[in-house]
Amino acid sequence: MSRPFPYAYISCPCANTPVPDPSKKRRSRESPQKSNPDQPKPLLPIDDEDEQTFDPRSPRANFSLYPPEQLLYCEDCHQIKCPRCITEEIVCWYCPNCLFETPSSMVRSEGNRCARNCFNCPSCTAPLAVNTLENVVTGGTSQQGPWVLSCGYCMWSTLDIGIKFDKPTNIRTQLSKMTEATPVRSRQMSRTFGELKSPLSTYSSIDEQFPPPGETKPAEDSPDQPNIPLNPDARFNALKNFYKNQISATSSSPTDPLGMDFGSGFSSPGALNRIMSLYTSSSRLSSLYGGANKKPKTRPPVMREALTASEGLKVPAPDAEDAVIQRIAGPDCGWDGLASLEQRSFQSPDVRFVEDLLPLPVLLRTKRSKRCKSCKHILVKPELKPQSTRFRIRLIALSYIPLPTLRPLNPSPHATSAVPAGSTATTTTTTTTTNLDALSPLRPVQLLLTLKNHMFDPVRVTLATPSVTPGRVASKVTILCPQFDIGANSDVWDEALQGAAAPTASTTSTSTSTTATTTAAATAAAAAAATDPRGSRSGGLGMYEKVAEAGKVWDKGRNWTTVVLEVVPGTLPGGVRRQQQQQQLQKPKKPSVVRGFDLDNTNTNTNTKSDSDSDNDSDSDSSGDVPALDWSGQASDPRQQLQPDEDVLEIPVFVRMEWDSENQIDNEHAVGRPSADTVKRELAYWMVLGVGRIGRVL
Amino acid sequence: MTSASSTSAFDDRRPLSMSFRHSQSGGPSSPHTPQHHLRSNNSSFASTSSSTSFRGEEDAIIFEFGSRWLRAGFEGESAPMCVVGCGPEESRRVGDYRGWLKTNNGIDTSHPASVTPEDWTGAYELWKMSLRDMHLGLIEDKIERMFRETYNKYLLTDAGTSRLVLVLPSIMPHPLLSSLLSTLFSRWRFPSITLLTTAPMAVIAAGVRSALVVDIGWAETVVTGVYEYREMASKRSTRAMKSLLQDTGRLLTRLSHDSEASQSGEEITVNFDLCEEVASRFLWCQPKVASKSSPDQSQQQATESQEDSGETTDQGTASVLDEIVSLPSPSAPGNTYIDVPYSKLTEPVEKVLFAQGVPDCELDDEEKPPPLLVYNALLSLPPDVRGTCMSRIIFIGGGSNIPGIRQRILNEVASLVQQHGWSPVRGKVIEQQRQRLQSLRLSQPPTPAATQPEDTAESPRSPTERSTSEIQDDEEVDPVEQKIRRNNKDKDTRPPVQGILREVESLGPWAGASLLTSLKIRGLVEIEREKYLQHGLAGASRDLETHGHAPDRRSGLRAGDRSSWTLAGWG
Repeated sequence: MSRPFPYAYISCPCANTPVPDPSKKRRSRESPQKSNPDQPKPLLPIDDEDEQTFDPRSPRANFSLYPPEQLLYCEDCHQIKCPRCITEEIVCWYCPNCLFETPSSMVRSEGNRCARNCFNCPSCTAPLAVNTLENVVTGGTSQQGPWVLSCGYCMWSTLDIGIKFDKPTNIRTQLSKMTEATPVRSRQMSRTFGELKSPLSTYSSIDEQFPPPGETKPAEDSPDQPNIPLNPDARFNALKNFYKNQISATSSSPTDPLGMDFGSGFSSPGALNRIMSLYTSSSRLSSLYGGANKKPKTRPPVMREALTASEGLKVPAPDAEDAVIQRIAGPDCGWDGLASLEQRSFQSPDVRFVEDLLPLPVLLRTKRSKRCKSCKHILVKPELKPQSTRFRIRLIALSYIPLPTLRPLNPSPHATSAVPAGSTATTTTTTTTTNLDALSPLRPVQLLLTLKNHMFDPVRVTLATPSVTPGRVASKVTILCPQFDIGANSDVWDEALQGAAAPTASTTSTSTSTTATTTAAATAAAAAAATDPRGSRSGGLGMYEKVAEAGKVWDKGRNWTTVVLEVVPGTLPGGVRRQQQQQQLQKPKKPSVVRGFDLDNTNTNTNTKSDSDSDNDSDSDSSGDVPALDWSGQASDPRQQLQPDEDVLEIPVFVRMEWDSENQIDNEHAVGRPSADTVKRELAYWMVLGVGRIGRVL
Repeated sequence: MTSASSTSAFDDRRPLSMSFRHSQSGGPSSPHTPQHHLRSNNSSFASTSSSTSFRGEEDAIIFEFGSRWLRAGFEGESAPMCVVGCGPEESRRVGDYRGWLKTNNGIDTSHPASVTPEDWTGAYELWKMSLRDMHLGLIEDKIERMFRETYNKYLLTDAGTSRLVLVLPSIMPHPLLSSLLSTLFSRWRFPSITLLTTAPMAVIAAGVRSALVVDIGWAETVVTGVYEYREMASKRSTRAMKSLLQDTGRLLTRLSHDSEASQSGEEITVNFDLCEEVASRFLWCQPKVASKSSPDQSQQQATESQEDSGETTDQGTASVLDEIVSLPSPSAPGNTYIDVPYSKLTEPVEKVLFAQGVPDCELDDEEKPPPLLVYNALLSLPPDVRGTCMSRIIFIGGGSNIPGIRQRILNEVASLVQQHGWSPVRGKVIEQQRQRLQSLRLSQPPTPAATQPEDTAESPRSPTERSTSEIQDDEEVDPVEQKIRRNNKDKDTRPPVQGILREVESLGPWAGASLLTSLKIRGLVEIEREKYLQHGLAGASRDLETHGHAPDRRSGLRAGDRSSWTLAGWG
């Protein structure tokens, strides 16, 4: 939608297969059909969900629509694959800033961030540069002073938070040392916890449990100063150590619920004793030895709670937040002094002010290979090196499905000037080019839909579209030629040798010759798109002065075919009130897929109108007697006003393609000559064509 | 209320030698083999009892679900790797880069349409607890995308290879839970998913075993009493962040239409993101209640006593009231600023969270203000549990970040206790009777019962007051308690802090789950992939009591046999 008009999206067919819910499956077997109100006939198989018109405006559609270039194709399943129906495996990790690869063993320990000098600005996310403060040249050697990280975009630098670096290298380790040790910062921690935090401490489990007195002394000093604000990291580690100690202290008792799952049974000698006596302590023996075993050890020690700050307990002072309140209101803080939600998202949770923000190391990125979720075949495999942008395997969908492009069929300026204004006054006099950002309602627009085949087999395509687009703003859509062939993506020379004049086609749709006869009345409506830059690419030679005819393709090339779509944009709420539009709006929610040649769908509209009205009246609950839509635009209920993006004209088109595949062996001779071992393939999917935005005024 | 509020052993006053011995108590008396399984990466050496831990070499991944945010990260880390939202920007189509077009000066929605508050916030929610208008398929889509992007952008690990731990609210509609699990199991190959509840996780992350968890969340404020890691009671209220944001939106809407032109006052025309930004930056709450703000007179005398003590500290916040702060103008953010008195920014908090101006009798059951909720939750707990929980009050959730709100709630609870004691009985007749009794007693010296609630109320204020109250408390001696203490003499058990209102800070549910998982404690609800795919949620066994695990049921911690799986509290 934000893409420039016109655009095309393709809906991955996986959207039609809902997440299998095992319990629901069972339930549905018991009670066969929970009758869906949308489906009047309960005897229909569940598969008829496929038959429903794809609604590009439904909230779920956003999750299944993809630009065609983002889709993959699995050659084994013969199916389009979107990011939802693939699985991914990481090939390598690298920093997008310095392009250095990080070995997989280091990724986690570095917190998924670059361990080198790459940092992002905490206030604007631009990359930070390492700059020196002083550059004194004494003699031949230049003496470079302390270093800072500075942002070239917002002029933030680490000086703002009072940090300078001694060396220009290894900034991340320098920074982490500083932020852990500085007492000024709010996220301070005592030195002992820095030691606890070091990765080595996890290995020295014996030292943890029997700490030498000299080491623990400073740690136990901390309770004297009651409110050392511990860094959350340090608190977490303190808590972890505390729990470990408690568990090891209490786990010797089997009754303790927490001790059960710890493999505690084998870790302490006492427990070992118990296990060894498992077999000896049968009832006979125990009676023999009296109650020696029966008298258990003393009460199992119960895990206690953390009691001191060194164990991770934190009791905030009652007036801790008064200072924050005053600081927020203070003159030197203001809106810009407070960190925004975005800035806070990757900072420590208690950061509130901009001054507390720390530079963020750049998040690593990954190269991932992708596999089909159902058959596990590799679809994409990039090269290992981060610097390389090449792929070893890449099965993108566009080499299998036709690439749709849409462009308006503009009456060219020459054509309009040539045509006498009196004959076709309605259309020609207003605009020469169609402004897709403000389509005028109820005025027919003709669009050229080009499908370009990238396969080496000719493809037969059937398009279908609902005659009226779903949603409140109902636009009428007609595909003038819904069934056509696209040539194979053969060698370019083939076309050249065949001659550029008239590409041969063996379809039902008669090939349009480039010198189509034109009548004066139709010229304006269907003049060539001489102004469109793309016209030269697919248009061919003499494309002006041509009429869009029903049942005929517009133009055809070596591996592409263009057909004409005729669209009558509907009116918006708040636009023009028209009786017919209102009737269309009240069409039932189940627009049947109208396949093929329904050029004149007004008949069906009037037919369905009568019964749909009665249906709708019972449905329209909230609005009561008020007509379903307030077209004046003054509705007090915001639901009835124009929703965001409701004015975008999007056409769901069902594409069904058939082709004879040669099992991808010899592609050159496959054109039009199906041999015995060909396989008939079929692929069907929904496509959404974004035409433009409907304007408010006529 | 337990009488054993002997606060002599309040943390800080401990002799050094004692606390040293304390840490020593971590090492047991017998020589002890270090426990391998506590090392982070060496679990293959450990002979753990669970079979899954052999293949569960990789660190589990923990996701905490809220109604708006998803926190994700690895076990053993102190903070989640990322916090992901699911607003309208996140649910756009692939390739729709409209969100990036937003420039600093002026979002293109110069004339934002007015929306109802429900729609205004509804677009930003992942789910609601009421499934009536929910489209489960849409939620599945959102969850799938959130998970995929979290893995690809932040976790940077292959999805589905390691165990998954989900931290969920303790009440989840089954269809929601089912679609969540089905999505995860069918989309990726997670070997197992463990479910943990929010409140006990917050308790674990605070380092205590029992606490009262006040979760000022998005849709609801939930107050949960947790005793020995078990949820004992919980009270809910709709006075939470959602309505707070809606009210802030209305406030900003009113400010942008300076002429008070918004007749209805219901619809919101300001940008949600801007409003949330304002709310997170500037909303605040007065830690002390001014006496005039109390709606009814009966509370008057209660707050009066607190006035004189609070007056001195109130000075700071009182001066702040006159300050003027400038916010980006809601009508044209980025260009102009509007000046707003700082005191105005506390109005939504007062109005929404503390129900200012609404008499108690008009409050519905589901819209009690948090202080009342805390009081009611404490009241519904057994007295012993209450005494333990009231001195371990944990605030979590987005609302707990509003500066001053924690202290305010504690103060209001204190005044409620002072006013009513621990009795649910209210009314004029009761009051008369009490007064008659009191007049009878006037001849006698004041009973400790009368003074006691007072000093519990005063106690968090200053340590000097507390010490005076301790002297009175020490008169009451519990022989049983003393005996226990005598028996446990060798174990240097310090009498636990109880009976006073005290706040304990927690690292949050996510950190609790991370802590728990890194200690290799299994959750009670551990759903194996194969078993779930066979029967779905219906496969969970319900008759857990027969297995004898009933006491553990609500703690979310698991012991023993896992041939069948259960949903425990969620079942």
